[in-house]
Amino acid sequence: MALTSQHDDTAERSSLLRRVFFDAKIRAIFLQVLTVAGVVGFLGWLINNTMTNMAARSLSAGFDFLDVSAGFGIGFTLIPYQEGDTYLRVFTVGIMNTLLVAVVAIVLATILGLLVGLARLSTNWIIAGVARAYVELLRNTPLLLQIIAWYFGVFNLLPRPRDSVVLAEVFVLNNRGFYMPSPVAEPGFGIVLTAFVLSIIGAITLYKWEAARRDRTGKSFPAIPAGFAMIVFLPILVYAAAGSPLSWDVPALQGFNFVGGVSVPPSFCALIVALAAYTSCFIAEIVRAGIQSVSKGQIEAAGALNLPANWTLRRVVLPQALRVIIPPLISQYLNVTKNSSLAIAIGFPDLVSVWMNTSLNQSGRAIPIVAMTMAFYCIVSLSVSLVMNRYNRRAQLKER
Amino acid sequence: MLNCQVGLPTPGFYSLAEDGTWSGADVDLCRAVSAAIFGDPDMVEYQSVTSAVRFTALSNGESDMLSRTTTWTAVRDTQLGLDFTTVNFYDGQGFLVPADSGITSALDLDGATICVLTGTTTELNLADYFRANGMTFTPVTNENVNVLVETYLGGGCDAYTNDKSGLAARRSAFPDPSAHVLLPETVSKEPLGPVVRQGDDAWANLVRWTVFGIINAEELGVTSANVMEMTASADPNIARLLGTEGNIGEGLGVSPDFMVNVISAVGNYGEIYERHIGENTPIGIPRAGTLNALWNNGGIIYAPPFR
Amino acid sequence: MTLVFEPKANRPAPTNTVGFVGWLRQNLFKDIPNTLMTILGLYLTITVVGWVLNWALFNAVWDASSRRECLDLVGRSGACWPGVVEWLPNMIYGLYPKDQVWRINLGFLALIVWLVPLWMGGVKSKVAIGLSVVAFYPFLASYFFLGGDKGPIWTALVALGLWGLVWVWSTALCERRTGLSIGTWLAQRFADADNDIAQKRVRQAAALLLFVVCVGLVSQWSLSEVRTQFWGGLFLTLVISGIGITFSLPAGILLALGRRSDMPAIAMLSTLFIELFRSVPLITILFMFNTMLPLFMPAGTEVNQLLRAIVAVCLFAAAYMAEIVRGGLQAIPKGQYEAASALGLGFWQTTTQVVMPQALKIMIPTIVGNFIGLFKDTTLVSIIGLFDLMNMARAVGEDSDWLGLFIEPFFVVSLIYFVFCFAMSSYSIGLERKLSAGRDR
Repeated sequence: MALTSQHDDTAERSSLLRRVFFDAKIRAIFLQVLTVAGVVGFLGWLINNTMTNMAARSLSAGFDFLDVSAGFGIGFTLIPYQEGDTYLRVFTVGIMNTLLVAVVAIVLATILGLLVGLARLSTNWIIAGVARAYVELLRNTPLLLQIIAWYFGVFNLLPRPRDSVVLAEVFVLNNRGFYMPSPVAEPGFGIVLTAFVLSIIGAITLYKWEAARRDRTGKSFPAIPAGFAMIVFLPILVYAAAGSPLSWDVPALQGFNFVGGVSVPPSFCALIVALAAYTSCFIAEIVRAGIQSVSKGQIEAAGALNLPANWTLRRVVLPQALRVIIPPLISQYLNVTKNSSLAIAIGFPDLVSVWMNTSLNQSGRAIPIVAMTMAFYCIVSLSVSLVMNRYNRRAQLKER
Repeated sequence: MLNCQVGLPTPGFYSLAEDGTWSGADVDLCRAVSAAIFGDPDMVEYQSVTSAVRFTALSNGESDMLSRTTTWTAVRDTQLGLDFTTVNFYDGQGFLVPADSGITSALDLDGATICVLTGTTTELNLADYFRANGMTFTPVTNENVNVLVETYLGGGCDAYTNDKSGLAARRSAFPDPSAHVLLPETVSKEPLGPVVRQGDDAWANLVRWTVFGIINAEELGVTSANVMEMTASADPNIARLLGTEGNIGEGLGVSPDFMVNVISAVGNYGEIYERHIGENTPIGIPRAGTLNALWNNGGIIYAPPFR
Repeated sequence: MTLVFEPKANRPAPTNTVGFVGWLRQNLFKDIPNTLMTILGLYLTITVVGWVLNWALFNAVWDASSRRECLDLVGRSGACWPGVVEWLPNMIYGLYPKDQVWRINLGFLALIVWLVPLWMGGVKSKVAIGLSVVAFYPFLASYFFLGGDKGPIWTALVALGLWGLVWVWSTALCERRTGLSIGTWLAQRFADADNDIAQKRVRQAAALLLFVVCVGLVSQWSLSEVRTQFWGGLFLTLVISGIGITFSLPAGILLALGRRSDMPAIAMLSTLFIELFRSVPLITILFMFNTMLPLFMPAGTEVNQLLRAIVAVCLFAAAYMAEIVRGGLQAIPKGQYEAASALGLGFWQTTTQVVMPQALKIMIPTIVGNFIGLFKDTTLVSIIGLFDLMNMARAVGEDSDWLGLFIEPFFVVSLIYFVFCFAMSSYSIGLERKLSAGRDR
């Protein structure tokens, strides 16, 4: 009895072994279980090591330091911050600064990228040459060096506060930064804001209605210009009617420096310019490649249908080009966000500089600080990736 | 090999020559400890890391000791797994301003833009000083001294603050040193000294008593030139220091004559000071009359006795 | 009424479009906006270039013994080059012992010699040569750079490196002369043409003989150990980016295949890895590996600082490469997969024989672009305190003779980076043109 059962057992086992190797489905499951077990085991091993090491070195991984007073000054903040504020506040300041740099640099880089892309296609030999030199020079040197070069080559050489460059009597540029008047809302400004929001909603509704009517009847109506006119003129009218409820806080020289208005430090200017210039090279190439990717046949077909030139561009070329342009463009935008971490080289207080460098240094809590920094970048990138993947799925050419 | 951590090259304390050798006052401390352990000052592996990772590098065991202008503070000593051994240099924070700015006191700096090295106690002291005096300031921070100095020289900030030893050294390299003045105030206490990992008391003792040894050596007149003759000295203090009497080396786990090796390799405290940061060096910080003079000479450099 | 032939007035001759004047008119002064742009462009170029030349050449000091002398001579209006010149060897080789620098030169010379057959006409096994660089060269190079005692295993590996180099050149020369690879040629020479087994024997014997000779040679070499703490400058930059590039390609291909896999667990893990490493800046990854890797390892394991940076760079580069490969794979039409599957090819056969060759061809320009990016990104290791080009440049300004010399070394570093990256990107543009020649109409 025992013998036979043993025999059965081995036969079964060999057949299981066989199936693990030769049955695709079971092999797949087996492989996955193996991989997951391996990864989980590896992570467990790492965590275990970390725990023992930290206990042995009396290090703390807790987040209890977050409500301790940080005690250092920050040169540029979007939200009020004082030296006595907590580390958590510093983290927020860093995030805001990083996001500000990213947004401003993205806008500038896109505009500059379009211009440079056009300049590279220009028939003017000098302009095309300058654009080419610009692209080659900026693309082929590390961004870190470029940021330093902009800082010392341009913004640190600007005149001192007493000899500032003053434009239109309200914009001030010196080696302490760029100063602008800031708007101060007075009672009644709320109405203007409401009018602005309403006009945007109105414009969107108008556009939707136009699209629906066009699909139904084939008749078109210039909804986009009309919408823009609505957004621009309606708030202005309300503003005038409400008696201009807005005043300006103009920067003025006082003591060491200009006081009042809004200002950004030179390190911010250098960082923005360097990021925008560097990224614009890549954007220029992306835009050019995107437009060139639309096959000639499409344009010829549009011509054969006697579509006007702006329709060809808007309804034929752009929708197809955008499919090629947008994914790499978004990844460039994410690169800008990540590259803004190089602010550390010129001391602009972005997240990496103020949090992963200064705060880490002052508090000594390496693990929670590095983890929080990475988590922030992960969340930004992943949320953008999610949106992008959805767009990609929609825009992808459908194959059968 | 002794893994001794120094900072990124800084003249006077740990400077890197073109041939790749390190020298400076803090480097000599590494060499002294190496001489104490191995009898050879060159058994040192120098690690040069940014200040951002200095404590983690020490606490996770990459460095055996940290000999780089690091200020002894309560938080660092108690919460970061570090053990400060002793103080080998007393520094204090000062301000450098252009001579033509008309500023004569740090209290005139209300509203000023100030260049400060980030990640240091300097940065915290600066904020504290302004808060204490009810003044405001805008910091321009960086972790690279050269970037700050360039910014300051270009007029990007009204004052540059750092430890006074660092300020003097930097000013000597300005295009026109006389166009900049040091303000009289010293706004902080900066006791600098070697640091080891918490939990190894024997090792901390060895580092601590090597420093005490070179201070005692200066007090007793033992120099690198006369250390061999001094081994025959009848003075019991010298005899105990150099190990011809007593068993101090044994208690530290090294050979009895370890201080002979240390002193013949790097000299006594005064010699180290004069060689790297004294008046005849490019750093040029005079010692007489400052905190860093010996206790019997008007300063507070004072070591417990070798007994 | 008489009809009189009245010729219309002649149209003016078309503007000259050939010759120098014509070229100028066509390219620079076509109309008023164009002319204005030309003038603006010229003005900008002349100001910028003039300013840089003035500083870097005409006003510069070439002979001084300290920065003080430079400042006394020209102040800050001109560059002070002697300090940079003095430190240039360090900026290139780091703190590597000066009498051992020939080893670095020899190591890179070996790489160049290894690669030369790729550009020789008449050489057929270029793929094998390319692979041999990746597989064998690292052993040879790491021994040159690192030196030290080598046990039997290390000796064998280094010998394998030497073996590869000899094989590459003998094959290249043999193929140029006879059109056959060295193995085939030897086999045909010394064995019966019909006897496959004998031919194989001859090949194996030849390879073994060469290997034994190499081991004999290598065991005679003895180089003193140079620890990685002394590595630095351009050399370190090249080592880090070289390893990153070599590692990222295979790892990226595996990750991309994993992400597209039908097995959900594997696809998820690959996606997680890729997205995690792509979404954070390299500087944070470097920071994490630098400060936290020692904590992750069992107590007492020593992980050298260079190795930590290299691991970080490799993982980062692999994640980026994975996305590029995925892009290339997506561009392959479904029909290719279906055709391969109709032929009864399995997953690995489809991938290696049908899909990858096509996808890699499409991806080459992007891959080169990624390499350039990686090469530039290695500047970040300076932030965690490795003495790469950037940190060496910084060290110049901390030398007590050259205290504060800051702009000049950075200028030189920029030039070095530019030369390398420009060469790579020009090569990639040339390659792109060559590859797309068949597609454009």
